[in-house]
Amino acid sequence: MSEFSKALQVSSSGLNAQATRLRHLSENISNADTPGYRRKLVSFETAFANRDGVAEVSPGRVRLDRSELERIYDPSHPMADETGQYDGSNVDLLIELADAREAQRSYEANLKIFEQTRKMSSGLLELLRR
Amino acid sequence: MFETLDVFRISSAMAKHAGQKQALAAQNVANADTPGYVARDIPDFKTLYLPEVAASTQRSSRAKHLNGFSGTPGMATPLEEKMGAAPNGNQVSLEQEMLKSVDAKRQHDRALAIYKHAMTVLRSASRSK
Repeated sequence: MSEFSKALQVSSSGLNAQATRLRHLSENISNADTPGYRRKLVSFETAFANRDGVAEVSPGRVRLDRSELERIYDPSHPMADETGQYDGSNVDLLIELADAREAQRSYEANLKIFEQTRKMSSGLLELLRR
Repeated sequence: MFETLDVFRISSAMAKHAGQKQALAAQNVANADTPGYVARDIPDFKTLYLPEVAASTQRSSRAKHLNGFSGTPGMATPLEEKMGAAPNGNQVSLEQEMLKSVDAKRQHDRALAIYKHAMTVLRSASRSK
């Protein structure tokens, strides 16, 4: 397997991992007001792939954030207990947005490398042309 | 016949080296958010190619040796870089990787240009006979 196809393979695994991360982030954001929702965390890990020693990246298992749920005071809410409070979600929109920004930045970096590699290999193929 | 011509040999080794560098940059960028990942890099083509400079670097003479490069110029085993780590132990700097990849692209283009023009010289030499 040539170095270029290795590079393309690794970049696409990076794109895939960042897209998965972005999907979980959007799940978190859309469930920010769901009572009892715990935010999902995804951590990346290096998958030592097959035979060529290409260190691809893959999204690891999804974990739930075990921190305290927010207590919201609203006696008219159907889920309110005797003190008039119910469990909200533990999603912090600010954190999610910052994370989304970082995911976007990494996605773009992977895309840039992909593009660069593609240009290099097409330059190599240009050699065949007279 | 072309394999024995030094120009072709050197430029193809240079292009190969650039490809390897690009693959490593891609690997580092893909793992830019992996906790505990250490960035990898290979030495410059110049230090690998020139024998007097390469004399100070490690060589591997057997397949089981961990570091150093073996035989063919322009091929090297990746070394781990030591840089400042992020809180999660990741040591990749995206900016540095971008620079590295642009470097690799330029080196590759240069090598291909040399190859192409040497080819043109050969062609015109064989035509004029």
